[in-house]
Amino acid sequence: MAPKASKPPKAQPEAPEPPREHPSISSLHQDLYQSSRPFLTLAQTKGISPLTPTEKSAYAKSRFLETGVWRTWPAPQQKEFWAAVEKQNIPIPLPKPRDLGKDSRGQELGTYTIEEYAQYRKRERQLQGLRRESVRFRDRREKIQDGEVSEGAVEDERNRRKLIGLLQGNRMGLYEGNPEWDDVVPIPQDDGEGALAQIAYTDEYAEAMGYLRAVMAAKEHSPRVLTLTEHIISLNPAHYTVWLYRASTLFSLQSSLTEELEWVNEVALENQKNYQIWHHRQLLIDHLIPTISPDAVKALEESERGFMTQMFEQDGKNYHVWSYRQYLCWKLDMFNETELRSIEDLLRRDVRNNSAWSHRFFVVFSDPKYATQGSKATDGYFEAPQNQSPWNYLRGVLKKGGRDLASLEWFAGEFVKIGEGEEEDVRSSHALDFLADVWIEKGENAKAVKALGLLGDKYDRVRKNYWDWKRAGLKEGGVGGAASKMEALKVGF
Amino acid sequence: MPARGANTASDASSSASSTFDRLLYGNQQTQSQPQRPGFVIEEASPEDEAIDPGYTTWARPFTMSARTASASLIPDLYTSLPLIRDLLNTQTSQVQDKTIHECLPFLSGAEANIQQLNAYGVPHLARKRHVQFLHKNLRKLPAPYVAADASRPWMFYWVLAGLHALGEDISEYKERLISTIRPIQNVTGGFGGGNGQMSHLAPTYAIILSLAMVGGKEAFDLIDRKAMWKWLGALKQPDGGFQMAVGGEEDVRGAYIAVVILTLLDLPLELPQESPAWSREGATFLTGLPEWVGRCQTFEGGISTKPDAEAHGAYAFCALACLCIIGDPHVIIPKYLDVPLLISWLSARQYAPEGGFAGRTNKLVDGCYSHWVGGCWPLIEACVNGPSSPGAGPDTQSSVRSLYSREGLIRYILCCCQDQSKRGGLRDKPSHSSDSYHTCYVLAGLSSAQHKWHFNASAVEMESSGTLSSPYQWTSEIFVEDSQIYDEEDRVRTLHPVFVISEGAAEEMRAYFSSKGGF
Repeated sequence: MAPKASKPPKAQPEAPEPPREHPSISSLHQDLYQSSRPFLTLAQTKGISPLTPTEKSAYAKSRFLETGVWRTWPAPQQKEFWAAVEKQNIPIPLPKPRDLGKDSRGQELGTYTIEEYAQYRKRERQLQGLRRESVRFRDRREKIQDGEVSEGAVEDERNRRKLIGLLQGNRMGLYEGNPEWDDVVPIPQDDGEGALAQIAYTDEYAEAMGYLRAVMAAKEHSPRVLTLTEHIISLNPAHYTVWLYRASTLFSLQSSLTEELEWVNEVALENQKNYQIWHHRQLLIDHLIPTISPDAVKALEESERGFMTQMFEQDGKNYHVWSYRQYLCWKLDMFNETELRSIEDLLRRDVRNNSAWSHRFFVVFSDPKYATQGSKATDGYFEAPQNQSPWNYLRGVLKKGGRDLASLEWFAGEFVKIGEGEEEDVRSSHALDFLADVWIEKGENAKAVKALGLLGDKYDRVRKNYWDWKRAGLKEGGVGGAASKMEALKVGF
Repeated sequence: MPARGANTASDASSSASSTFDRLLYGNQQTQSQPQRPGFVIEEASPEDEAIDPGYTTWARPFTMSARTASASLIPDLYTSLPLIRDLLNTQTSQVQDKTIHECLPFLSGAEANIQQLNAYGVPHLARKRHVQFLHKNLRKLPAPYVAADASRPWMFYWVLAGLHALGEDISEYKERLISTIRPIQNVTGGFGGGNGQMSHLAPTYAIILSLAMVGGKEAFDLIDRKAMWKWLGALKQPDGGFQMAVGGEEDVRGAYIAVVILTLLDLPLELPQESPAWSREGATFLTGLPEWVGRCQTFEGGISTKPDAEAHGAYAFCALACLCIIGDPHVIIPKYLDVPLLISWLSARQYAPEGGFAGRTNKLVDGCYSHWVGGCWPLIEACVNGPSSPGAGPDTQSSVRSLYSREGLIRYILCCCQDQSKRGGLRDKPSHSSDSYHTCYVLAGLSSAQHKWHFNASAVEMESSGTLSSPYQWTSEIFVEDSQIYDEEDRVRTLHPVFVISEGAAEEMRAYFSSKGGF
């Protein structure tokens, strides 16, 4: 192939191309650069010797321009030089276009269109101005004493930072952008090297936690801490540290606890499984009670019961709510008919709700006023005899009252027919279990052995080992048997 | 034969039918009356009963597919509905029926996703996939895990304990565990859920146990014992119990965790003077503690989170394990708890056909109770049997081998709790996703069901003995049954019955700190 040097140049340097469309700002810059150095490029591609004398002269002048050596010449010589440059129409060579760098999102600025780049430059100028203003605001505030900066100035600064965030293309953090938090230097999380199970937090959570760590380190308890903790709780309600710190802040500020209770209600309804809310609520009640009138306590009892009813509509066995309720009964002396009726409503809805049964037992037996009385007549508890809850309740009641199981043998017997010559009919394994214990109590071991055998082999087979163990103790009878061991264990209790 | 049929409301109305209160509080004449007023609120014929449409279908005996017919060694106990069922329809019975329906295909081998069943109709332990699943839980976690930001140390413990049970070597995590934990410790004593969080007993428990499992001087020296002792003092309450954090809730978890820390770090039992429970009479960390735990036993026999609440499986384990640190099981448990009542309650937590344990009366089976309830059995069995004397055979005539159905539990775990997809891991029940919490505690339950633990009265005399040395006297052996329903390759490793960590780890940690003497 023939060497390229023999070909004529594509375009005459004397007649530069008309401006063409540029896809990006860097292509424009490149083009301007190229078109500012026609003779230099010509010499570079062709070499100097094949050039015409005019071209050679233009090349030399271009070099003088590029190097700037003409500046060292005496004035007349400079004048002559510029006249020649003008005459020959030699463009002044531009410096090589520099890399424009990247924008905040990591995109090369060189890839921007000309229009985009113009806007970008405009924005940058605006940002510089705003940042200077922001720095001036901080300086001014630092010089004057606390609280001297006017509300208006703070508001202006807040808006200024919003604008800065907007112009930057990435919004400032909630706290970074709020002049009220300028005095706090957030403490970043130290996760240690190569941390296990490291969580990729959102920027929002990471920033808020940074400020919380700083606030806690300074032991600050101020209204803005309430805003901060509320924010973090909305992002992670299982954060016990935030709840505990919020509580201590509320108390040190003597904030309105009734307002806090209302807010906590909302959070609780949205977070059914949350553990921390209920302890927080307990702390609130502890602090609230000594400050309110007996009437207000009564009203509180009502509203708390109402709220718990609402919680139980979603999950009638929510362990945290029930534990809180037992606390509240002690705190507000709720050992009363209303409380029992409220439990009965729940049992009417689901007679198998063991949490409600447990609470009923607690209400009936924890307060001496009611310990002997029990609750009002309620039907239907044994409509489903295979439901273990009322059986456990019944045993508990008999024990509390110091009564023998045998006093209710007739009742359990209604669900169990296993006697001689009777057709076997067992409608509740719990009744059969009850009867077995009745017969053990009465020393009727043969009957008990039969009952336990039926439980293990037929009606409750998955617990066979347990029934057999109980039965083995009976059969052995004497010292060393399981039953006598059980009795020995009972004595200890 | 009426025994097989379900109980109906009309049956009940014609039989026992007094009101609850008359039953309990008098009107004794009803005893002699053969006919009593209706038990139901309104007289209703069976046709009027609101019966879940699905219920009647489930009431039919469950039929096994051709595929499972060969698995003839699945007892019908695990493939059919309970013998006695009430027809009264409530939310509790609805979700219970739904759960049985959900588990039956897995238990009977009808579930298509389970690839291989052994002769007993039980799938293998998908060991490799569970190992992978656990490892994944220690890698970088996506943003939604922010909900676990205050409980992250639990993941270290669940993963390490689970991996150990599965036979894995966890030493590869040692260095990273130490560097992860270092910034979580507070200078005021104890560990929080993460850097800058308040100290709390739950993450502190998880961290101490994790450090015990990886072991070694560097891991142990990381713990500031003196600060820990002071912090525990701040948590100890005048009523005997422990708060979980300063100003936090007081519950039976606190009681268990506090003594775990006291014994593993061999801390002095006297209280720091700043403790709210400090007294001139010389109250210690243990003063009133077992009594407080005893107050958590409910009328049902189980243990609640604090006095007056409902009996719950997780708290039963905490209470028993707490007592077994303070004293020998056969001595201390009967001293503070009504053992027969507790055994009856624990035993009633196991259901069929599911085979697994539920956490409370009338609640659903859940894989995690394989440990919380299942883990009570070794402690209770040691209490009932008394200490094994060294040299004597493990099973003397009068000692009880098992008080629960190991087969039922193992069937539930291997059939229902394994995620059989590529994901791996173990779960609550088939409709739930696997997670590291369930993986750990389901495996702990499996381990407990596959082994037999012995409490040895004087087999091991601790060097520095004295206080809280009871939990170091346990030894284990493989539990052998006539017909073992799982293959030998599916046996997992033991986990200590009180600390729930690799066997020997607790002893090593305790010995290290005992040898130091003082802080």
